[in-house]
Amino acid sequence: MKGKMTGSSIANSRMAARALTAIVGGYAAAAGSVSLLARIAPIDRAEATIWAMTLSFLVYAGLLLWAFHETRLARVAATIWGLAFGSAACLWLLGPAL
Amino acid sequence: MSKAALNDAPGVRQSMAWIHGWLGLLAGWILFAMFLTGTASYFRPEITRWMQPEIDLRPVTAATAADTAVAHLQKVAPTAEQWFISLPDARTTATRIFIRERPNPDPNAKPAPRRPELRLAPATGEEVTARDTRGGEHFYRFHFQLQIPHPWGRWLAGLCAMAMLTAIISGVITHKRIFVDFFTLRWSKGQRSWLDAHNASAVIALPFHAMITYTGLITLVAMYMPWPIQANYKDPATFETAVFGAEPDAEASGRLAALTPVAPLIARASKEWGGGTPATMVVRNPNDAAATVTLFQNSRDRLNARGGSIVFSGVDGRQLSTSPPPGPAAETSGVMLGLHTGSFAGPVLRWTYFLLGLAGTAMVGTGLMLWTVKRKRPNAVPFFGIGLAERLNVGAIACLPAGMAAFLLANRLLPATLQSRGDTEVSIMFWTWFGLAALACLRPIRRAWTETLAVAAVAFLALPLVNAFTTDRGLFRSFVHGDWLFVAFDLAMLATGALLGFAAWRAAQISSRPARSRRAAARPANPLREAVDAP
Repeated sequence: MKGKMTGSSIANSRMAARALTAIVGGYAAAAGSVSLLARIAPIDRAEATIWAMTLSFLVYAGLLLWAFHETRLARVAATIWGLAFGSAACLWLLGPAL
Repeated sequence: MSKAALNDAPGVRQSMAWIHGWLGLLAGWILFAMFLTGTASYFRPEITRWMQPEIDLRPVTAATAADTAVAHLQKVAPTAEQWFISLPDARTTATRIFIRERPNPDPNAKPAPRRPELRLAPATGEEVTARDTRGGEHFYRFHFQLQIPHPWGRWLAGLCAMAMLTAIISGVITHKRIFVDFFTLRWSKGQRSWLDAHNASAVIALPFHAMITYTGLITLVAMYMPWPIQANYKDPATFETAVFGAEPDAEASGRLAALTPVAPLIARASKEWGGGTPATMVVRNPNDAAATVTLFQNSRDRLNARGGSIVFSGVDGRQLSTSPPPGPAAETSGVMLGLHTGSFAGPVLRWTYFLLGLAGTAMVGTGLMLWTVKRKRPNAVPFFGIGLAERLNVGAIACLPAGMAAFLLANRLLPATLQSRGDTEVSIMFWTWFGLAALACLRPIRRAWTETLAVAAVAFLALPLVNAFTTDRGLFRSFVHGDWLFVAFDLAMLATGALLGFAAWRAAQISSRPARSRRAAARPANPLREAVDAP
């Protein structure tokens, strides 16, 4: 399973970048996107907050799997980190509702 | 499969198989321990009762237990700041009380030492003393804290649960013959058998595994995913109030006033909850004009584990406030919590939960076995960590049960008055677990399996014997007296011992016939190849 990768430090560092993007970036992107949804959803604040928290792990799991399935690392990194920083920026501009 | 190989064959099934294999391996050993101790925790109060055989109480009504507890507290701490009273039910027979003292107004005074939690006989309100033990609470805490300092244990458990969730999803995508494999189990076929066993244990209880993993993450969601709260509220307390209702005003007035009788409050709360019973009673500022009594609903009779609460005046018994009715999201997350803990489950459903939990444990265990067996095939690409992975498999699958049995044996064999006895029991579990795993490293791998499994089997089989010799609640006497908790516990230990003994016997068979099993393993796999078989 790992034979082809042995000795290839480029492949190793690409795998490390992918894993970091998936695990850390995926968490940030999931947290940011569900928080943004919770902030802008046109329903009761507390309800929107709980829905976002409840569904967040499904979003995170989806991002994790996609990060390892998509072969183009640049695309993975751009999407996941873009989602993380983009949603964080929107939330910062909006500020807390209550 | 490397990244390069991923590029060659970027099919969803291949990439999912690759993720499934690696996530399963890296998180597998901890997940095995979480599944096994979590499964045992479905009998948390029962294990605690078995571990304190001197306590043999008869259940009483919540109102009686509350009355006797309040009478006791009026004697020992009439001017405390708060009384916490955990009322007994059919499963936890003792009342538990905890007193929070009023802080000394003098800022230079030393803070009063924290009072320990006490247990009372619910019928009389008298204090019950028994051997010091963590009881079933130990397995329960370990299954999400992993005996690692806060908050790191919970974070590690959460990371492993996330790996489990991802492994379940990728496992389902990988698996194309999900219904055929449900009925397929080929014994004595080396790797093929482990794959069949992994598939069977995974598929039989797939909805349970997915549910228990997701709801497990939900139990600690406020720690793992607090960001939606941060996005919506300047102060998280506002969110708590909106969902769970406001905490009563905690300031004491300083004027004395007699505490209202609590039994009528329980009757009124029960009426409001449609027959539900309270699990916890919190009395703030007892015997003060500003006293309040808060009742929290028991989740035993309902799917939503977050029951409501009602605040009463502690002076005249007026109803002051009620927790808001849950909206759809709060209801959903409360039900998820209830599904995880299974607190609503009666005996039959509880045993079903237990067996499904064992199926989950078996799924993780067989997955770990499959991982190493596959990489030991003569034509497999050598993997440098294979020896380590095999040793960790022995350490998790065979040595953890031995450690759990040692924990229970220590409970019966340590002197009742030993200093910090409860902590010693816990230490003995870990010394046995890791000590046995270390000793097993000195033996050839196949012998290590047989020997550690045999040690675990003997330890479990010894439990009913040791129980019969050290208490007056042995299997025979319990049976005659109709003490079904102790009968069931001893029988469960015998069954566990027999299962581990069978596993040891199988391991011995395989190790005494290495040529045959190697040939079986080397045989080309079934023509119906799974993506997980891809080299």
